[in-house]
Amino acid sequence: MLRLQDVTVRYTRQGPAVLDRLSLNARAGECVALVGPSGSGKTTLLRSINSTVAIESGEVWVGDAHASRARGRALREIRSRIAFIAQKHDLVDRLKVYQNVIAGALGRWSTAHALRFLAWPKAAEVDEAREALDSVSLAHKLRNRTTELSGGEQQRVAIARALVQHPLVILADEPVASLDPETAAQVLDLLCNLARSRSITLVCSLHQPEFARRYFDRMVKIEKGHAVPVAAIFWAAESPRRTAQVPC
Amino acid sequence: MLSLDRFTRFFHFLAQFFPPDFSWSYVSLLGQPILETLGIAAAGIFLAMLLAFPISIVIGARMPGSQALYAVLAAIRSIPDLTLAIFCVIIVGIGPGAGLATIVIYYGAAMAKVFGEIFRAADPRPLEALRATGASRISLAAFGLVPLKLADVFSFGVYEIECAVRASVIVGAVAAGGIGTELVGELNAFDYRRVATLVVVLLILMVLVDRYCRLVRRHPIAVLALPPAGIVSMFFFWPKLFAGRHAVETFARMWPPHLNAAELHDLPSLILQTLGMAAGGTMLACIFALIASPAAAKGIAPGFIVFITRRLFEILRAIPEIVWGLLFVTFAGIGPGAGVIALGLHSTGVLGKLFAESLENVPPDPIHALRATGASRLAVAAFGNLPLAAGPNLVYGLFRFEWNMRAATVLGIIGAGGIGQALYNAQQMFFYPQMLAYLLVTCGMVGVFDIVGTQLRKRYRVSWVAVE
Repeated sequence: MLRLQDVTVRYTRQGPAVLDRLSLNARAGECVALVGPSGSGKTTLLRSINSTVAIESGEVWVGDAHASRARGRALREIRSRIAFIAQKHDLVDRLKVYQNVIAGALGRWSTAHALRFLAWPKAAEVDEAREALDSVSLAHKLRNRTTELSGGEQQRVAIARALVQHPLVILADEPVASLDPETAAQVLDLLCNLARSRSITLVCSLHQPEFARRYFDRMVKIEKGHAVPVAAIFWAAESPRRTAQVPC
Repeated sequence: MLSLDRFTRFFHFLAQFFPPDFSWSYVSLLGQPILETLGIAAAGIFLAMLLAFPISIVIGARMPGSQALYAVLAAIRSIPDLTLAIFCVIIVGIGPGAGLATIVIYYGAAMAKVFGEIFRAADPRPLEALRATGASRISLAAFGLVPLKLADVFSFGVYEIECAVRASVIVGAVAAGGIGTELVGELNAFDYRRVATLVVVLLILMVLVDRYCRLVRRHPIAVLALPPAGIVSMFFFWPKLFAGRHAVETFARMWPPHLNAAELHDLPSLILQTLGMAAGGTMLACIFALIASPAAAKGIAPGFIVFITRRLFEILRAIPEIVWGLLFVTFAGIGPGAGVIALGLHSTGVLGKLFAESLENVPPDPIHALRATGASRLAVAAFGNLPLAAGPNLVYGLFRFEWNMRAATVLGIIGAGGIGQALYNAQQMFFYPQMLAYLLVTCGMVGVFDIVGTQLRKRYRVSWVAVE
């Protein structure tokens, strides 16, 4: 469903390669956690998938579309099937919750349709937003102002917006970094379950390996611009040993 | 048929402006008025800054008497600038000197007030720390207030340079020489081709001043060009006359302010007319600016459309309300309609720019998120930029209303109706007690909205620089 082949990204022409001939495959409904220290290129990898970062060489395939080749309308079409969930602040806080959720449909709507919705939303469209909110258990907040929601709720609204996109792929860039551990666990659990049940490929960067271990199918470590697969069993075996080395 | 007739009339009116008179015999005459306008502005703003800075520190440091001083400044600032110009003519006689005096008094008061407010808004914590060392108020200002807020003060001061040039054109319309006098003269002579020339000159002048201000913002060192220009101009335009006794006599005749029964009866409708003019003009500008501003915002519209729309706003902004008013009074006749259009056009230029900037300055993350869904530029603007910029834009609109109320009284002077016209008529007929009464009413109106505006500013933390 998602295939990256020898992707190289540099931010300056002569600069170092942030991603260096990186390859990665993920099936539909598979949940992949990206781990690695800050600055290792996790965000760059995610952004190269929806072409918000230009890649120097290599190929990105989303479904059967050659994403790294697409320009203009074709690119917009591909992007409309790739949802992106960021750490925070990516909701328009002055809009109502359902307006933020329906923004996920903007990619397949015409501009006129989008403008008409703001002035005069149709019942069917609001129902679509309600359905998406229902799957993140927030249907009762449909008409609230987005600012009235807590951090965890806002992140769930972002997930609902992603669902409205009917995505093939969800990219999540440290979606729980600004949440407390309990809320973070809930959000990740929800995200992975939704991805599996709807056959969406989930690629999610994380700081906490224990979350990755608990909820995801596999882990990929980004190291020196390469993707290094981490077998869950190694990671699990490794971590107790590491804690043991810390003198108490 | 009626509308067609109107259209032809409008067309004929416009046709009279073309082609502008660019003959050498006329253009060569314009050197002096241009120099006068620029000189009055340079000397005026230089002296006003010298005056304003120490006063604003007194206010900012809340020294004894600062409240009273602040009230006096607010009162001076609420006098329409043209009325102030008339007072200055009474004191120092007709000529550029009166213009210089007007700019110094008006902008001195305005800048002292605003600088003071900026200083008062300084972060109290570092000041507390300084106070804890036992520093005196003066050293508190020198080591705390000024370094903390110099950037804001500088930024607003630079903004006022632009305003001062526009104002030195405006005061010329009453008395003081420069392009304003020239413009009124040509309008009265119905020589519209020369009016067109002057408007073009004004545009070029304002664009140059705008570029200079941008240069100063980027390289603050460029501000050093101002003092020498100001000092040289001061020698040329210093008032040649000081009619102290005449002034005292004239002002004495204004006391006590008085309105007879008929005038009192008319007063509410005059006030309403001025308020209506300001509200109508602001509304018109808000609508135009709301529609046009996305076309002037980078990231929403393509580059060349942004460029064109910005130049259009610049043109609308460069021509002062009163010049728009003079043009439309000539065409549409005397009445508030001309005033609404005049305020509307100039404010569209101002608000259009501000709206576009606030559309550009929205937090970037939600915009990226919307763009990542594959939404079109316009859809992103409608779901992202527009709602995110709604708060600041609303505040800008309200502030513009406050400003337009002052401008509406000035427009009354050229026959657009309202309390300004009553004020001007009283002055023309030497009904001095009435004049003072109308002036006090005007100041009261402006004062009320000034206070409301200041409260709004505090609540929404909108900087001064962006508003005026």
